[in-house]
Amino acid sequence: MVKKRSDVYSVEIYGTKDLQKTEIEDEEEKHKDSKGNKKKKKAEDLKKELDLDDHRLNTSELEKKYGTSIDKGLSSARAAEILARDGPNALTPPKATPEIVKFLKQMIGGFSILLWIGAAFSWISFGIQLAQEVDSAFDNLYLGVVLALVVILTGIFAYYQEAKSTNIMASFSKMIPQQALVLRDAEKKELPADQLVVGDIVEIKGGDRIPADIRLISTQGCKVDNSSLTGESEPQSRSCEFTHENPLETRNIAFYSTTCVEGTATGIVINTGDRTIIGRIASLASGVGNEKTPIAIEIEHFVYLVAGVAISIGVLFFIISVSMRYKILDSIIFLIGIIVANVPEGLLATVTVSLSLTAKRMAKKNCLVKNLEAVETLGSTSIICSDKTGTLTQNRMTVAHLWFDNQIYSADTSEDQTTQPFDQSSPSWTALSKIVTLCNRAEFRPGQENLPIMKRVVVGDASETALLKFSEVILGDVMSIRAQNRKVAEIPFNSTNKFQLSIHETDDPHDKRFLLVMKGAPERILERCSTIMINGKEEPLDSEKAEAFQTAYMELGGMGERVLGFCHLYLPENEFPEGFQFDTDSMNFPTSNLCFVGLLSMIDPPRSTVPDAVSKCRSAGIKVIMVTGDHPITAKAIAKSVGIISATSETVEDIAKRLNIPVEQVNRREATAAVVNGMELKDMSSEQLDEILRGHSEIVFARTSPQQKLIIVEGCQRQGAVVAVTGDGVNDSPALKKADIGIAMGIAGSDAAKNAADMVLLDDNFASIVTGVEEGRLIFDNLKKTIAYTLTKNIAELCPFLIYIIASIPMPIGTITILFIDLGTDIIPSVALAYEKAESDIMNRRPRNKRKDRLVNQQLAVYSYLQIGIMQSVGAFVTYFTVYAEQGFLPSTLLGVRVDWESNAIQDFEDSYGQQWTKYQRTYLQWTGYTAFFVSITIQQVADLIIRKTRRNSIFRQGLFRNKVIWVGIFSQIGIALILTYGLGHVTALNFTPLRFQYWFVAVPFAILIWVYDEIRKLLIRRYPGRGTSPCCPSALTNGSEEHHPGRLKNNSEGKELLGPACSEIKFISTRANPDKEQQVLLVPRLFLNSPGEPKVSGLTFASGAREVRADNGAVVNKEVNV
Amino acid sequence: MSKETKKPFRQSMAEWRQFIYNPNSGEFLGRTAKSWGLILLFYLVFYGFLAALFTFTMWVMLQTLSSDIPKYRDRISSPGLMISPKPDTALEFYFNRSDSQSYSEYVTTLQNFLESYNDSKQSQNIECTSGKIFDQSEAAVKKACRFNLSELGQCSGKEDANFGYSKGTPCVLVKMNRVIGLKPEGEPHIQCTPKEEGMVNINYFPPNGAMDLKYFPYYGKSLHAHYLQPLVAVQLAITPNGTKEEIAIECKILGSPNLKNQDERDKFLGRIAFKVLMSE
Repeated sequence: MVKKRSDVYSVEIYGTKDLQKTEIEDEEEKHKDSKGNKKKKKAEDLKKELDLDDHRLNTSELEKKYGTSIDKGLSSARAAEILARDGPNALTPPKATPEIVKFLKQMIGGFSILLWIGAAFSWISFGIQLAQEVDSAFDNLYLGVVLALVVILTGIFAYYQEAKSTNIMASFSKMIPQQALVLRDAEKKELPADQLVVGDIVEIKGGDRIPADIRLISTQGCKVDNSSLTGESEPQSRSCEFTHENPLETRNIAFYSTTCVEGTATGIVINTGDRTIIGRIASLASGVGNEKTPIAIEIEHFVYLVAGVAISIGVLFFIISVSMRYKILDSIIFLIGIIVANVPEGLLATVTVSLSLTAKRMAKKNCLVKNLEAVETLGSTSIICSDKTGTLTQNRMTVAHLWFDNQIYSADTSEDQTTQPFDQSSPSWTALSKIVTLCNRAEFRPGQENLPIMKRVVVGDASETALLKFSEVILGDVMSIRAQNRKVAEIPFNSTNKFQLSIHETDDPHDKRFLLVMKGAPERILERCSTIMINGKEEPLDSEKAEAFQTAYMELGGMGERVLGFCHLYLPENEFPEGFQFDTDSMNFPTSNLCFVGLLSMIDPPRSTVPDAVSKCRSAGIKVIMVTGDHPITAKAIAKSVGIISATSETVEDIAKRLNIPVEQVNRREATAAVVNGMELKDMSSEQLDEILRGHSEIVFARTSPQQKLIIVEGCQRQGAVVAVTGDGVNDSPALKKADIGIAMGIAGSDAAKNAADMVLLDDNFASIVTGVEEGRLIFDNLKKTIAYTLTKNIAELCPFLIYIIASIPMPIGTITILFIDLGTDIIPSVALAYEKAESDIMNRRPRNKRKDRLVNQQLAVYSYLQIGIMQSVGAFVTYFTVYAEQGFLPSTLLGVRVDWESNAIQDFEDSYGQQWTKYQRTYLQWTGYTAFFVSITIQQVADLIIRKTRRNSIFRQGLFRNKVIWVGIFSQIGIALILTYGLGHVTALNFTPLRFQYWFVAVPFAILIWVYDEIRKLLIRRYPGRGTSPCCPSALTNGSEEHHPGRLKNNSEGKELLGPACSEIKFISTRANPDKEQQVLLVPRLFLNSPGEPKVSGLTFASGAREVRADNGAVVNKEVNV
Repeated sequence: MSKETKKPFRQSMAEWRQFIYNPNSGEFLGRTAKSWGLILLFYLVFYGFLAALFTFTMWVMLQTLSSDIPKYRDRISSPGLMISPKPDTALEFYFNRSDSQSYSEYVTTLQNFLESYNDSKQSQNIECTSGKIFDQSEAAVKKACRFNLSELGQCSGKEDANFGYSKGTPCVLVKMNRVIGLKPEGEPHIQCTPKEEGMVNINYFPPNGAMDLKYFPYYGKSLHAHYLQPLVAVQLAITPNGTKEEIAIECKILGSPNLKNQDERDKFLGRIAFKVLMSE
């Protein structure tokens, strides 16, 4: 574990210092762990390569080193040579397991090994019988072959399914081939980026992705976004100068997969493909081991359980049959039968199909799942660590608030705004809008008139874009307004001035004055003003008004928004007549005593679907943690606006401010929310981090580097949580790998992140994760149903063997027949259960507890095996005995006849009526018995299928016809049985015979009994919810139907009643006394709280483990209610 | 490595012990005695109910059946053939004509088999008209037709207590399986053919291996208690050529169109094959 961590940390690339540290650590570990050698070498490689000196060389040295020419580039022939030597310029995908290994894994995984044992036994007994010259020896050979075929076919199927889902991913990553502009043979050519070789001269421009590691040789205002490499989100400028010893810090190198934000540059390719810095990191990150997915653990658990049952029953009956003086060989054959009966051969294939169906459904909802098992992992997620930018927010600056006339106005920040609702009648707004429109250099790219404004592409920085779109929405055609107010002079924004200024002619033909407009940092703008516009009138800027400005500025800033101040001045006509030559260098115009007009604040607003998604997560018991590189204030503001920090909850700092006490004195337990700065996180021990993660329900990590994500993920996992992490950068990939489910962004994500992730969000939208969670939970529930359905009939297949051995009756069902149930009639119905709709409360309950809520638990197994399964067996045996009795063998005659019945020497076996049967006649009757037994199981499996549709709700509530696929299942089941019985009834090898029609109905009463019995069970469970989790959500919160009322609280099995008229309005999460403190909380929906601190549920008494009442937003309402 | 695994092992052992019996809560295998008792009671009641239900449905089903004839007889529409004595090993007779020990088992079997055909046992049986189906469907009490042992001639055991085994003329009785309601058409008779000529001469008792129609149909165990199925004795006079050779013989029922003897899968339907190896 320790080892793993240090490896991951070595990915941090903040400079050589870190790398050296890694090196030292690795050196230390050399003695501890010899296994780590390979990884250590990798880290060393990385270090060595970083000693590259290309940034120190001058142009001619570079030309010499790479055998290239800056004017002509490489020759095509030379390039081809190098390409052949170095390979294409692309990251090798993480080393895939060889196909054959994958295939073999399918062949021996799961139950396959049991079936192989069965097949081996069959062949052994075939060999022995052959030596003994027994006639029926070949039956065993065939059985062995059939078992082997079953394993191989299901293996091929599973392999095919897996391959298919892998292909989806592969096709996705190949969607957009990157192009690069290369100088070759003295000609500029567009080439696919993977054709680049060392020494190529490439040109890049704003918006391009850097196609390889490049030493720049000429630049014009080039800036690159290195965030995917370092996590630093500010664009960094790039030039040709050698500025730093560290190749990562120097300005004259641009790295593969980073983006050129603006400007242009030309450079020499110095590293390609896996030899690039990113390539190194990616290969290093792939060393982080992938944990087993929860569903894989569950399936393993299930396989062990079933295999355990199969082996123990098999061995038990082997011993019994040996001690009953059966021949060893016979006993072995029984053992095979028992194994085959016990193993649900088709189940693993069914699970795969169900998962891939869900994966398909999720892909439609923009969640692309790379690993099928990840489908379910998302469902058991208990913590989501989400990025802010782009995932929770729209990833574009938008005007959120305005301040003019001493008043703050809110603007619409939704994705598809077409109007702005705030009051625009004030003349101050007219003035402000003019400044906003004119003092702006951003422009729409031409040819987008038909696109919605918010979707148009703008040339300009983020703030100016926001302002441009804002004014376009309100005023209409901004470009023509600008044209009417011709710009005569301009000072662009720079960091010393902190303002931007322009001078325009006015569009009023009678007004010959020039208009000076200015925007910039509010305090700087205010400094230059002497008046302020209130309701269109200029008023002197006295201290009171300045105070008002300050308050507004602080308020907007406090919301985490970027605030800009706007002012203007109409230049007096006499001093600045028409045609006046403005000189921006000498500033021959006034830049003080201006008139302040207003403030505009901008933010990257949350996506409109996110608040709803977050609240869904909350009611689903999923903790959403925001991890962002942004400023804490902005982060907190967004967290508040999307509900990650709920309206009423406070951080320690908030409480301190409210109570006016120092932060140290605040009782930390009272604070439900926490905003943790990356700098604090750096100095935190893991215990402190655990404390924070445990102690607060609402957490925001701000100013974090992508690497710190890994620490946070590990912290969450220490809490026993199943963690989902979103990420897009290369440096996110260790965290994505480490997470139980890594979610990469489809749009913003880098290839490395996508490679490391288990899932790709095609629309980068947080809300899609929630849909994914829902699907994941649904599939877990439905898999439970599928397994319960499948396990049930195993008993009905097993009992015949046991009774055959003990009571020595003719064999009631054959091994081959069993395989026809497992792999024939049962397959489609069990897949159909995957289409079952959720039982109402799916997103209203906590994530499943990895350790307790198993896929197959004791209850499920016991209920399937010992109750429904036994009932099925009884039904099938009734049919069996009926068939024999009506042919002349009364049940009493059948007991103990096995040896004679199976003897080839007895051709005159007497039945209950004195008739004599030849061996073949008996065998044929036995096959009829098989068929009858098979048909009975099939008929009762229909009932089993229907009862498995729901686990708690009545079938009538769930609706028999809502899931049409179930009916496809039922019809297929019966159809296959009909075909086998009547169509293939004459093929002797299959052991089916045509069956009298009435025998199909013998088991029907038992099928009905199964249904009725299960309905009664469900009724009792609903009436007496007992100790299990029984969430009761208020009907008013959902759609008000009865359906959302699964647990009636007044009948708590432990005798604890929730009294009071408002009972039904309580959302009851759990009553069980649980060591886990969080479960001792009774959550009451905010809706039902009249005022803070006073729940409507005043008559409430309960004696369960719940110790406190909370609003569902986490605010404590009433601690220590009468217990 | 081992250090690490040992500790949890001891711990897990303790946990197991705790699981098997927890002295604090009095829990045995995770449940208290009361809980186990309730579970036991539930399953007792549940399985009791299922057993009762099973018994009841079986009883109802049996009520629908007649005790005289089975409901369906379609699975044995045609009878099989069987021989007596029946060697243990796959219908192969091995004996030494001069060693009485080697065939005593066959002789005893035949004697026991023919016991029920003794006149004393057939006192209630009536003489029936030969060559005619003896239809008694109207009669409340079904009579059985007498089968005189004398019809088996040299193979009746009366003349030769060793059934010819000591003389190199062993007898094998061929019988047809009882099938309720079966009325053979035509003139059914048994015919046996050796695979190779010249090794054995075959004599039939009654002559031609005829099976008299008067013994049909059979009305079932309860109505037709004294019924005796007709027998055909096949005497194999083994020639010196055939001595010490394995002789394969196939017997078939012929002369009756509704008795199958050519079924592909059922080798005993209207036919039977056996082997004889006699040494001196």
